[in-house]
Amino acid sequence: MAGDSFTRIRLAAQVRHQGILLLREPGPLIGYTVMPLLLIAVLRPMFQAIDHLHAASTLTGTGQAAAGMAVMFSIFAMKAVGASMLEERTWNTWDRLRATPAHSGQLLLGKALPLLVTLIAQQFFLFGFAITMFGLRPASNWWALVGTTVVWSTCVLLLGTAASSLIRSPAQLSACGDVAAVLTTILAGALVPTTLLPGWLQHLGPVSPGHWAMRGYEAALIDGNAKAIVGPLAALAVFGALGIGLGALFSHRSGG
Amino acid sequence: MYTCYTYGMLEAVALHKRFRDVPALEGFDLAVAAGEIVGLVGHNGAGKTTFARSVAGLVRPDRGTIRVAGRDVAREPREARARLGLAPQELALYPTATARENLLLFAGLHGLRRKESKRRVDEVAEALVLVDVLDRKIRELSGGQQRRVQAASAIVHRPPVLLLDEPTVGADPTTRDALLSTLRSLAGDGAAIVYTTHYLSELDALEATLAVADHGRIIARGERAKLLSGVPGHAILEFDRSAASLDPPVMTSAEIFTRGAEMTIRAIDPAAIVAALLAAYPEAASQLRAIQVHAPTLDDLYRGLVAHHGR
Repeated sequence: MAGDSFTRIRLAAQVRHQGILLLREPGPLIGYTVMPLLLIAVLRPMFQAIDHLHAASTLTGTGQAAAGMAVMFSIFAMKAVGASMLEERTWNTWDRLRATPAHSGQLLLGKALPLLVTLIAQQFFLFGFAITMFGLRPASNWWALVGTTVVWSTCVLLLGTAASSLIRSPAQLSACGDVAAVLTTILAGALVPTTLLPGWLQHLGPVSPGHWAMRGYEAALIDGNAKAIVGPLAALAVFGALGIGLGALFSHRSGG
Repeated sequence: MYTCYTYGMLEAVALHKRFRDVPALEGFDLAVAAGEIVGLVGHNGAGKTTFARSVAGLVRPDRGTIRVAGRDVAREPREARARLGLAPQELALYPTATARENLLLFAGLHGLRRKESKRRVDEVAEALVLVDVLDRKIRELSGGQQRRVQAASAIVHRPPVLLLDEPTVGADPTTRDALLSTLRSLAGDGAAIVYTTHYLSELDALEATLAVADHGRIIARGERAKLLSGVPGHAILEFDRSAASLDPPVMTSAEIFTRGAEMTIRAIDPAAIVAALLAAYPEAASQLRAIQVHAPTLDDLYRGLVAHHGR
């Protein structure tokens, strides 16, 4: 009982502190929240035009643009996860945390929870904007949209944490984060519909977690078949598990 | 008051650690009793930091055991860390958070409830003269203030064992006194403290015993006065002309070096040697411009011990 109580106290302390750190430096996350809103407004007519060519409804254009930007900018926000982990190392605080009686898992969970909430909030804000301004409605049901958002955000967080174990400087983080974001976005069909991509790129799509996030959002927003999200979410869960495994491996090898 | 383990509140026995082919600890032994403050001294590479990281569980020794307040660091790491306060040499605080927020985090991670944490933070801030800067961000504080916050983060949960690595770097005399006074008080309550410094005066103020580390092991351990009693001090004499031209004598009880107008005398009692020298050489006395006599320092002790151990 005392152990559970200590666990709660430690987790609460860590969550509270990480929340404070995020609020102190909100610039990047605000940027990654505002930029997609602008891009949705700009890209929506393009997706609508594409959909008209395929005789689809006008709503589909908004759904495509919103889902694409959700995928693209949550990958960019992954840089914030990486930066947060990198700062712990450059500030020497990670070792200091490890010298307390808190378990490594507690420390990581306490660090991850506020970041996860931020990632989810970023996407809710984005979809909220599309719903309010452009009348976006999920074709299946709201829970499919919420489920996809939560699973995708968790996947991004886990992969970001794993990748940050390999990053040694802000310059590395910036370069790797940008390349990963653009590559994932392209392979996902988040910027340009996959049907318009070259054939060889279409075949590469499934190796990107963004591809499965995009399929999940499409199922929730466009297809009208809630069951269709199960496959993409399962794939994202596999990527998340991969993130946990790689994170543990990299962390162990770097003595972390 | 702490649970009292009279012999060895902190016990490190035969620690060995190599980083690839480089030995960092080679049979490092150190026991610190409850209420004892140990000044751990040694040059870079002596093993002090690896020892501290081993005690904190951040480095796993290849061989040897460490017990913190009776808890084995390898077998009960969390229980051992719960009884340890660590202020590492490098600053390890969140620069974008305030001093109070940093201290509340470390209090919370040691299992203190929020209300209790707040009370302890106020207490330790008062003791270490941090009240006025508690709500300022770490990056806005001076180096000395940051070091004090770091020390405060190590003691906020009142651990029975404390490891402080050069906590007074950059501190002004007033705040240094506040820290030393707090540490004496904690030792008075039974805490075992390992304190790394290059300043003998601080160890005097703490009434600390000494442990001298070199090449990964402790080469001398005991009372300051006893260890320093056989260590030569030195005197520097400055003359109006070249000291070498005064033809200094060869003496068995002192080493004499000349450089330009300066003559340096290293001896167990340098003042007595100077007096004897000037009495025997009136010409030198007439040319004398200034005399400085220095008691043995930690560096003198260290050099003497290293020479004695053939390093």
